[in-house]
Amino acid sequence: MASRGTTDVLAGGPSRAEQAAAPAVSLRSVTRVFGVTPAVVRVDLTVERGEVVLVRGPNGAGKSTLLRVIATALSPTYGGGDVLGFDLVRDRERIRAHVELLGHRTRLYEDLTAAENLRFACAMTGTDAAGVPDALDRVGLGDVADERVRGFSQGMRQRVAVARALLRHPDLLLLDEPYAGLDTSARDAVDEAVDDAKEAGRTVILATHDVTRASLATRTVVMDGGRLVAEPALADPETSG
Amino acid sequence: MSFVRQTGAVAGKDLRIEVRGRYALGAVLPFAATLLVSFGLSLGPGRTFLQQTAPGLLWMAVTFAAVLSSRRSYESEAEDGALEGLLLAPVDKAAVYLGKLAAIAAQLLVLEVLVLALTAALFDLPLTGDLTQLAGGFVLGTLGLAGVGALFGALDVSARAREAVFPLLVLPLAAPVLVAGVKSTALATSARGGQAGGWLGLLVAFDVVIVAAGTLVYGHLLED
Repeated sequence: MASRGTTDVLAGGPSRAEQAAAPAVSLRSVTRVFGVTPAVVRVDLTVERGEVVLVRGPNGAGKSTLLRVIATALSPTYGGGDVLGFDLVRDRERIRAHVELLGHRTRLYEDLTAAENLRFACAMTGTDAAGVPDALDRVGLGDVADERVRGFSQGMRQRVAVARALLRHPDLLLLDEPYAGLDTSARDAVDEAVDDAKEAGRTVILATHDVTRASLATRTVVMDGGRLVAEPALADPETSG
Repeated sequence: MSFVRQTGAVAGKDLRIEVRGRYALGAVLPFAATLLVSFGLSLGPGRTFLQQTAPGLLWMAVTFAAVLSSRRSYESEAEDGALEGLLLAPVDKAAVYLGKLAAIAAQLLVLEVLVLALTAALFDLPLTGDLTQLAGGFVLGTLGLAGVGALFGALDVSARAREAVFPLLVLPLAAPVLVAGVKSTALATSARGGQAGGWLGLLVAFDVVIVAAGTLVYGHLLED
């Protein structure tokens, strides 16, 4: 790790100490436009390390786009920021080494089994694949680990994707509507993953409509029309969004 | 994880999907066979004429098979947003490109053996010439076609008019491979096998350029 810090300095990036002290997310006037349609408008957001932030808002509020910008799947059209001390635009590959996004699409290969999908994800993220059976057991799919995803329901696919996120223990976990299509036990597995991350001092940003999950969060922000519309202190999970 | 192991993981994943889907054998091979049979019937029974046209038809079938196999390789990435997973993976994107190239090339080589055997049977193409040059032409041509397909397939996933875009991009770029492949096959299966060196050299040059370009720009093609 020391050598990586040296490399970062040589490459013009932050030193290891600077990177470790930086907020998990620091967005400065981030705007993302699709064609002529703005999805995220001048968002300033700072998330400290170890926080669990709930992002709420109606459909089309820009929650998913915001998470995808933070995950570096999308570039900001205007504005910028840092994620885990790395520049959102210049240091995308470094950010990706520490961030996991669980999005609307499960990103699974239908002709691979659940276990094969997870083993491939492990190979691509440098994660130890020994934890694959345990991760599938945690989401209740241990007995279908060797069955192809093609025959799975949407809920089962979502659970495989949750298992993939559980495997990696990233510094920043981005969950975009992770409860969609899940039954109670799988929802509990997501909650458990969020609690585990919180206890380990990792950062979680969770976008969901599910107000019952507000207790997981240390802070709530609300989006509407692509903008952050409420200060964290004003965002009451019982009444807003 | 090393670059080579990442490349192997992508190639292994694509080949496993292909073996299970049986797309190459189930769709691409019948297409190539139909093309050869229909041309063989329309050209008539003249043995010399059939032998002269066989290399061209053979490589036409291989080129279309390459287009179909490359598109199939990226269909599995597009099905549920898997390509975004590759984008967000903290790996050198050149490893992803080379892995997909290797998988497409492996499928094509298997198909080529079958299509070559079919062509030899239907068109009386002699396989008694310079077999080393014949094999060299196919291996080098396959690398070039797979290199083009693996590179532009990524664009195909994100393009709005994906059905039309991919052939428009790939077929003009594959023209040098088609020409050199036809010429080297024609020479290798005739008594003039020793003269195919120039065409094989062209294939080597094309492969070096396309693989180098693909390795350098593939990551940029995947990015938003």
